[in-house]
Amino acid sequence: MELSTTGFWVFSTLAVLSAFGVVFFRNIIYAVLSLISTLIMVSGLFFTMGAELIGALQILIYAVAIVVFYVLVISTVPEFKGKAFEPKYMIVSLPVGFLIFIELAFVSLYGAWKSNTGIFTSEVIQEVGNVKAVATMLFTKYLFPFEVASLILLVAMIGAIILGKKEHVIDEEAEN
Amino acid sequence: MELVGTVVVLVIKSVIFILGMFLGAAYLTLLERKFAGHVQQRPGPLHVGPHGFLQPIADALKVLTKEDLVPDNVDKVLFYLASLMAFVPAIMILAVVPFGDPFTIFGVEIKPYITDINVGLLLALAFGSISIYGVIFAGWASNSKYPMIGGLRKAAVLIGYEVALGFALVGPIMMAGSFSLREIVEAQQNIWFIIPNILAFVVVIFCVLAETGRTPFDVQEAEAELVGGYVTEYTGMKFGLFPLAEWYIATFVLSAITVILFFGGWNPIPFLGWLPIPAFVWFFLKVFLLFMFFLWVHWTLPRYRVDQITELAWKVMLPLALANIFIVAIWIIIFG
Repeated sequence: MELSTTGFWVFSTLAVLSAFGVVFFRNIIYAVLSLISTLIMVSGLFFTMGAELIGALQILIYAVAIVVFYVLVISTVPEFKGKAFEPKYMIVSLPVGFLIFIELAFVSLYGAWKSNTGIFTSEVIQEVGNVKAVATMLFTKYLFPFEVASLILLVAMIGAIILGKKEHVIDEEAEN
Repeated sequence: MELVGTVVVLVIKSVIFILGMFLGAAYLTLLERKFAGHVQQRPGPLHVGPHGFLQPIADALKVLTKEDLVPDNVDKVLFYLASLMAFVPAIMILAVVPFGDPFTIFGVEIKPYITDINVGLLLALAFGSISIYGVIFAGWASNSKYPMIGGLRKAAVLIGYEVALGFALVGPIMMAGSFSLREIVEAQQNIWFIIPNILAFVVVIFCVLAETGRTPFDVQEAEAELVGGYVTEYTGMKFGLFPLAEWYIATFVLSAITVILFFGGWNPIPFLGWLPIPAFVWFFLKVFLLFMFFLWVHWTLPRYRVDQITELAWKVMLPLALANIFIVAIWIIIFG
């Protein structure tokens, strides 16, 4: 058995197991811990497939930068407040969840069918490396969408700052 | 067969790296205590062995044989797991740090690094930031106020400085045109990247101090306010792992990465290249000097307030890092 095959089976088993943990743990801190584990295992899967850039970014952005805010919020909320759960929401969440599942399944199948039609063959990527291949596409063919995406993020950031800004209360006693 | 060979070589290399790091870290504690002693005009450890030379071994024995208390109301699984989660990522950064060019002994090519993956720098950044969970979960699992506050403070510090650190690393990456740490060193044979990247270097110094929780950024365990911060409830070796990971292993590994990025890695110091000193020695000399610099800062400066730290991160360090990218871009346009 090759190293990458072994790696694939180890990482995918652990990823699926931790995904079960996210759904079934009653303690939300454990659920978040399983989420981190899932994300890291998925990044391991990227590495076994030779997509190092996405693997590293997966750890850096998803497993750390995003989930750390989940952890901060969840660990500061008292446990009894996290127990509210009403079964009536299942009427909405089940069909929506199913729709998202269908969408994901479609995208993955479409991606598997479409994967060999890009301008970079796997030999070229072996030659120049992931980073250069991604950068070449991003700054030539997809430059406009890339810039638009960064503009949207900038607008969102300014919006968040304005929303989060408190009215400045001047404490007169402190000034005197 | 290929699988077995690769795994065996990797395991041997990893064991050598980890054992070396442990022994190194043990003696870095002695170095730090001696240094701190002399900074504060006292001799430091003196009595175990000649001039206190066996003190780290005595320390290790003491920490290992101490009674391992676990408070009643802690979350036991996370309590144990957190000390590992702080420690393991710090060791994992070693996997991408190269200590020199490949060399040949008795006809066998030896590569003094575990992997030369072409996104090495990104991975180092990722592993460095994963250790944040060890601190937060240690704070949460302890089920006590001071550790909780310490963990949250550390999280606030890390979130701010990770961003600035990420932007500061862009400068050397642009100059070298690669994320691979080995290629970054090779690109510095003529001129070290400190020259146009001086702003990024300043930012990186602050970020390393913040990320390893050394003074002036040690708000997470500010002993005057928080008892011991997130380690308050820990005892024995579980307690020992936190400072070992943060103060010694992380500081050492991040110093090595800083040397690789800004001071030419294992290239000799300019105008001294004719000396018969192997590349290996040059590298460790530079890392050692940088490590001593961090100790020097740690033992001479007072601590920042929490709000000053986050303000510094977002209002000073981030703009400085962005300005550095701008300067380096112009440098590259002018000098190619």
